[in-house]
Amino acid sequence: MRKLHLGKLWMTAAALCLFSGTALSADTIKIGLMAPLTGSWASEGQEMKQVLELLAENLNAKGGVLGKQVVVVTEDDGGDPRTAALAAQRLATQDVPFSIGTYGSSVTEATQNIYNEAKIIQIANGSTAIRLTEKKLDNFFRTCPRDDEQAKVAVQTIEKLGYKNVAILHDNTTYAKGLAEEGKALIEKDGDKVVFFDALTPGERDYTAILTKLKEAKPDIVFFTGYYPEAGLLLRQKREMGWNVPFIGGDATNNPDLVKIAGQDAAEGFYFLSAPLPKDLPTEEAKAFLASFEKKYGAAPNSIYSVLAGDGFRVAIAAIEATKSTDFTKLADYLHKDLKNFPGLTGVISFDEKGDRVGEVYRVYKVNAEGAFILQN
Amino acid sequence: MTTGKRIAFCIAALLVMAAPPLFLNAYWVDVLNSVGLYAILGLSLNLIVGSAGLFNLGHAAFYAIGAYTAAILNTTFHIPILWLLPLCAVTAGLFALVVARPIIHLRGDYLCIVTIGVGEIVRIALINNVFGLTGGANGIFGISRPTLFGHAIRKPDEFYWLIWSFAAITIFLFHRLENSRFGRALNYIRDDEVAAEGCGVNTAHYKLAAFIVGAAWAGMAGDIYAAKMTIIAPESFSFWESVLMFTLIILGGSGSIPGVLLGAFLIIGLPEVFREFANARMLIFGAAMVVMMIFRTQGILPARPRRYATPPDPSCKAEAEA
Repeated sequence: MRKLHLGKLWMTAAALCLFSGTALSADTIKIGLMAPLTGSWASEGQEMKQVLELLAENLNAKGGVLGKQVVVVTEDDGGDPRTAALAAQRLATQDVPFSIGTYGSSVTEATQNIYNEAKIIQIANGSTAIRLTEKKLDNFFRTCPRDDEQAKVAVQTIEKLGYKNVAILHDNTTYAKGLAEEGKALIEKDGDKVVFFDALTPGERDYTAILTKLKEAKPDIVFFTGYYPEAGLLLRQKREMGWNVPFIGGDATNNPDLVKIAGQDAAEGFYFLSAPLPKDLPTEEAKAFLASFEKKYGAAPNSIYSVLAGDGFRVAIAAIEATKSTDFTKLADYLHKDLKNFPGLTGVISFDEKGDRVGEVYRVYKVNAEGAFILQN
Repeated sequence: MTTGKRIAFCIAALLVMAAPPLFLNAYWVDVLNSVGLYAILGLSLNLIVGSAGLFNLGHAAFYAIGAYTAAILNTTFHIPILWLLPLCAVTAGLFALVVARPIIHLRGDYLCIVTIGVGEIVRIALINNVFGLTGGANGIFGISRPTLFGHAIRKPDEFYWLIWSFAAITIFLFHRLENSRFGRALNYIRDDEVAAEGCGVNTAHYKLAAFIVGAAWAGMAGDIYAAKMTIIAPESFSFWESVLMFTLIILGGSGSIPGVLLGAFLIIGLPEVFREFANARMLIFGAAMVVMMIFRTQGILPARPRRYATPPDPSCKAEAEA
């Protein structure tokens, strides 16, 4: 009996494999999606899949592209470079002209060569590390901004608000330190002064010592590049000291828990940078898309990165439509040279010769008296 | 098995393993590459867990040390990555010596907990960019491709030969080790430590040696991994990796080389076979795992008890002649 049971199980599994393997017919255009469906970024990956499937569904309802239906082929990268390399190899054998994704930078990097050798265009949606496009691969694009853009937007904001003496505080993590150093260089280039540049130790409960040191430097504004738990504590303790200096944070402070840690009074007036939250997307396309997303899945998307994956998909379809082909060279040329000011969900999209998105994606947010995050213009 | 049969079996196995790149596509060859890598890791951990009976759930730490040694030296000094194999073994082995020496007397679960701790410490140190060497959460990128006899290895097919040749060497050496004085001493310690000590086996010495050899081998696997991926990041060496290596041993049959190989095929291969199920793939993988463990708790191919041919008794012979 036991053997029989196991045998049956395997038969069923094998049959299911065969069935789903042959379900895809020839008269379709396949778009690959590589997303972290499992692992620590699973929520991002699941949402990326939902977004792409909805977009494909809406497109197919209107007749598809070049008279063909569009099928999204999803592969799980597990948020891990090794699994991602396998996912990419698998997509490479499935005749997809485009692969959308993925989220983590090191995960994306592990797949870049595979796609490049297979002549598949890759449009990443959440990989912000600078080096990915510095290799100048002809098949790599991304709809998300780069890490160095954040510093640029932060410095522009500080200058627009009219502050001259800036204190920069980081927490010694690679990301926060990098952002702080980029910011410092930009501020000094523009002739303003960095009056304080130091790190705090993340994970502590009491930051009054570093706040006192900061206060002695008499900055007009403090730029904190670390994460939200420390930012919340800094805001709270700064208020307890009775020091009234504006704070601006990087996108790692974008979390509702910030307000919980700092308290509404202390958090009010805190500026931070972030890619726009899905609810704040300005375009008509975005509003229509968000409405249909809510209708299908019951809630708006949580993460901007899944919407950026949707933009990757829309750009891919636009390229296929404009070139009337799925030929690699034509598509890549089109994206590099001819695609200008495409009306994306997250604003207009054009790519430069490296495959980076042209234009600024980061926005400035301010916490209001109720603790809500309000987009600044 | 007689010697003749054994040689025939080895040749048949080699021929079977040489065939896949001829008819499989790049994806499936790459899946086999992953299987091969985990087979090497599994065999290295098997020496510690299977042969010596020391629970080690932090093996990813040694794997990471090897990979990072290779990556750092390759990217800063441009030393060809395959030349670094012995050095990776040395650093991982030294690290194992330093870590394991004070804790080697711990038994069972206690040792297990410490090794989990070591694995996490290493991973977090890598994320925190320790000594400014490890590149933090982004990892190290731009590791050069390995070259062998002037030929750069980049395609999955070429890696297949590299990884499985290394795996074949590993299998051979670990097989020899298993049937040596050293291997027997480890088994004795696993089965009854007190009795082993009573018979004059230096248990602390042998346990430590098993730990170091296993770790050094994992370090070499790390070097190959770094060469294959050309980028390494801390998330490749998470606690889950240690669990995978441990599971494949337990599933296949602790202490048995064929069992570990089968375990690697199942643990790494099945999730790829189940990719068709998209979201449910890990669920089905888990269910298959539960089913197997219910029906075969000792592992699929458990280690067979040692058998030795009894030499003919000279006294019997004398009697017969008389």
